[in-house]
Amino acid sequence: MPRIHYLELLLFKTYADLKAEAARTYLSFLWWVIEPVLFMLVFYVVFDLLFKRGGGGDFIPFLLCGLTVWKWFDGTLRMGMSCLRTNVALMRQVWLPKILFPSTIILNNTAKFAVVQCLLLGFLWLYGYLPTRVYLALPVLLLVQLLLIMACTYWLAALEPFLPDLRLIVNNGLTLMLFLSGIFYSADRIPEAYKSYYFLNPMAALIDAYRDVLLDGVWPNWIRVGWVAFGSIVGIYGAYVFFRRFDRIYPKILF
Amino acid sequence: MAHNSIITLDGVGVSFPRQALLRRGEPFWALENVSFDVREGETLGVIGRNGAGKTTLLKVLAGILKPERGKLINTGHRVAMLSLQLGFLPNLDGRDNAMLSGILMGLTRAQVRARLGRIVEFAELGDFIDEPVATYSAGMRARLGFAVALECDPDVVLIDEILGVGDADFRAKSAAAIEGLIRSNKTVVLVSHNADTIERLCERAVWIEQRVTRALGAVGDVAGAYRLSAAPASRDGGGPAAQPEV
Repeated sequence: MPRIHYLELLLFKTYADLKAEAARTYLSFLWWVIEPVLFMLVFYVVFDLLFKRGGGGDFIPFLLCGLTVWKWFDGTLRMGMSCLRTNVALMRQVWLPKILFPSTIILNNTAKFAVVQCLLLGFLWLYGYLPTRVYLALPVLLLVQLLLIMACTYWLAALEPFLPDLRLIVNNGLTLMLFLSGIFYSADRIPEAYKSYYFLNPMAALIDAYRDVLLDGVWPNWIRVGWVAFGSIVGIYGAYVFFRRFDRIYPKILF
Repeated sequence: MAHNSIITLDGVGVSFPRQALLRRGEPFWALENVSFDVREGETLGVIGRNGAGKTTLLKVLAGILKPERGKLINTGHRVAMLSLQLGFLPNLDGRDNAMLSGILMGLTRAQVRARLGRIVEFAELGDFIDEPVATYSAGMRARLGFAVALECDPDVVLIDEILGVGDADFRAKSAAAIEGLIRSNKTVVLVSHNADTIERLCERAVWIEQRVTRALGAVGDVAGAYRLSAAPASRDGGGPAAQPEV
């Protein structure tokens, strides 16, 4: 089958999944907006209203810049991790390249994130953070984060059938990472001695870069962003090879 | 009719690991040593009792499972199982489901769109094609699933005991459609435990027993041998005459 066919399949499967998901609730597509708003509201209530962590009004934009992109990362990984397992009936009926299943999840979540990102930008502009020249860096950052999400999701989806216990580790690992990625605090608060370790976390590097662009109007640290991009591309290639190697093993080990 | 082989199996064995990660313990062999070929334009019957490895064999032919032993040579043909309701999502309407199912089975969107009229007509769905499949009766769902599968024209069709779905009228119609497909010049591999079905529809047959090839050749000889072997020891519930079909 030609490669173009799989692209068509990816697009239509994603469209069908999104539509089916929306049809399951009364508010359907409105949930694309409501759900992330509720998610962010939780953190706003806890950190701004309860802990008075903000100190000033600017804590909310600061928080949202980190949370929206974090949710894109976190949601895709959690959903994508077990996607071979949930599609096992399908892969026993017809041969499909297995990388298609996590790709569908990634595209699905990216479409939802696109809506949230637009809302965030609108909110920031209303708040007074107007676009500057450095907004040119924003598409690059989004692309690098997409690569990172692809690398992580592919690897988790590829390994989960062999290691079902991975799900429990990753669920907690993501919670830990949420607190280590500088969503609730600025990277400036990290002692200089630990900073290089702190930025080994790719999401910490990216969130810091997003804030540079969206809030501070300065160019991000391209070296850090470049490393994330490089590592992600290597990761994606590795996962692609892994999927090809174990392609026809998956239907045998999943039940 | 041309007689060149388009798929060849040579000593094929398929095993399933008992444990995914460490591969501890002996693997389970679903097929041990199977050899035969599929020739262009023919209808090949695969006969065998329950648990003989027939379904595993189809999955090997379709490229879903990889044999651990032996060789499988496919000379570049698209081989697919006739799968009913493949990938159906109950919340979507009949149109979207037909599209999804068709694309999953290898058609392009344009091809499915062009065939949608025929699909709706064959499935006798009328305006229901625009309703969510969740609101369909089981019979309607089966009809749509069958109509889509019938339109997804691979080079080699693999059929696993599905010779009629839905209510009495549609069963007859779908069975006739399958028979039409089988009798056409299409290459078909038909799996059944029923010797009569195989004898009626196929030209050649292969008999799989205890995970190995027991016989291969003209359908009369193979079906005859299969019947003889089953007659005395009928402990096996899946004996050839035990379960009438269609």
